[in-house]
Amino acid sequence: MKVGLLYSRIRTDEKLLLEELRSRGHEVKKIDVRDQQFGLSGSSVDAAELDIVVDRCVATSRSMYVTEFFDSYGVPIVNPPDVASTCSDKVKTSLALEEAGIPTPDTRVAFTREAALDAIKDFGYPVVLKPVVGSWGRLMARIEDDHAAEAILEHKETLGHYEHKIFYIQEFVDKPGRDLRVLSLDGDPVAGMIRSADHWITNAHRGAETRVLDINEEIEDLVRRASDAVGGGLLGVDLMETDDGYTIHEINHTVEYKALADVVDVDIVGEVVDWLEVKATASDNGAAKMAL
Amino acid sequence: MYADRFGTLKGISRVQTGAMTTCPECGAGLTLHDSIEVGEIVDCSTCGTELEVVEENPPVLDLAPELDEDWGE
Ligand SMILES: Nc1ncnc2c1ncn2[C@@H]1O[C@H](COP(=O)(O)OP(=O)(O)O)[C@@H](O)[C@H]1O
Ligand SMILES: [Mg+2]
Ligand SMILES: [Zn+2]
Repeated sequence: MKVGLLYSRIRTDEKLLLEELRSRGHEVKKIDVRDQQFGLSGSSVDAAELDIVVDRCVATSRSMYVTEFFDSYGVPIVNPPDVASTCSDKVKTSLALEEAGIPTPDTRVAFTREAALDAIKDFGYPVVLKPVVGSWGRLMARIEDDHAAEAILEHKETLGHYEHKIFYIQEFVDKPGRDLRVLSLDGDPVAGMIRSADHWITNAHRGAETRVLDINEEIEDLVRRASDAVGGGLLGVDLMETDDGYTIHEINHTVEYKALADVVDVDIVGEVVDWLEVKATASDNGAAKMAL
Repeated sequence: MYADRFGTLKGISRVQTGAMTTCPECGAGLTLHDSIEVGEIVDCSTCGTELEVVEENPPVLDLAPELDEDWGE
């Protein structure tokens, strides 16, 4: 198959993927999105020659639009734009999870400092404030009292661009010093890891300690449902443990798998490419049928 | 060396092993590992600057872009 890889930075994750694709004899077209122009009916990339496109954009804003374009050009894209749109936005993710009846931390959104402060006081301390678009645990606040709340809200309102005036306020989940990450392919869990840290933010990107997660039935079921809730695809589902079971706080649509691959025995990248091969074939068949 | 039906070149490494280049920031010599890839970031061992591989063969490096707020997974 001929695979288009959309990127602006080749991380180890992309290198592993490129290596696996090439070693299987697939042709890979690396597409640096910084060099491209995207038009309404076509772009500087010859989309027609691609069997499938994989969005590995590290910049979420670019990811959101390139997926729209390739989808519009009729090329199968992983992940599709609706998935990117939901997962890149924590408000949309929270709503999608809630609508699907999946446990997710209680969250409120407010548009002004005053309304946000009221919501924060309703939750009580500690409480969590997150950017609606963000990753790697950046720009998140664990707020412990009114003084900190007032200051952070004022800073965000004064110094941030408009996205930071969408205050996403969430109950603090008193998790046991760790959270869980499961990589899934259209809902099938491939592998998972436990990320532990002394800090309340336990992203692997921030140096959390990682070890293998044993995916039990409850986790598997939640991951499947969470994947369905946002439209499936290649996803990184984040869960926290609470006294009454798991809660899902985030789903990543351009998931990094290097840290996971380092701790599990599963051939993650091999599984991803197996899955891409099936996707590309399915779409070929679809196209052939339509041509008849 | 041959090209298979996918047009993939077999039998050659994509880049010479341990190719040498210089850091565009400090000018120090830099030896790259043997499988560099355009778009990859390498650190200059002399000045610590993050450098982006912009050409593979021969390797050319440029200053890497700064981390942006919307970056992530
Ligand atoms: N409501 C919460 N209560 C306690 N810890 C949280 C909460 N939300 C997130 N965290 C911690 O912060 C980390 C990053 O949060 P997350 O929502 O996944 O944002 P990001 O997109 O930056 O990864 C999580 O992995 C978890 O360790
Ligand atoms: Mg996360
Ligand atoms: Zn240097």
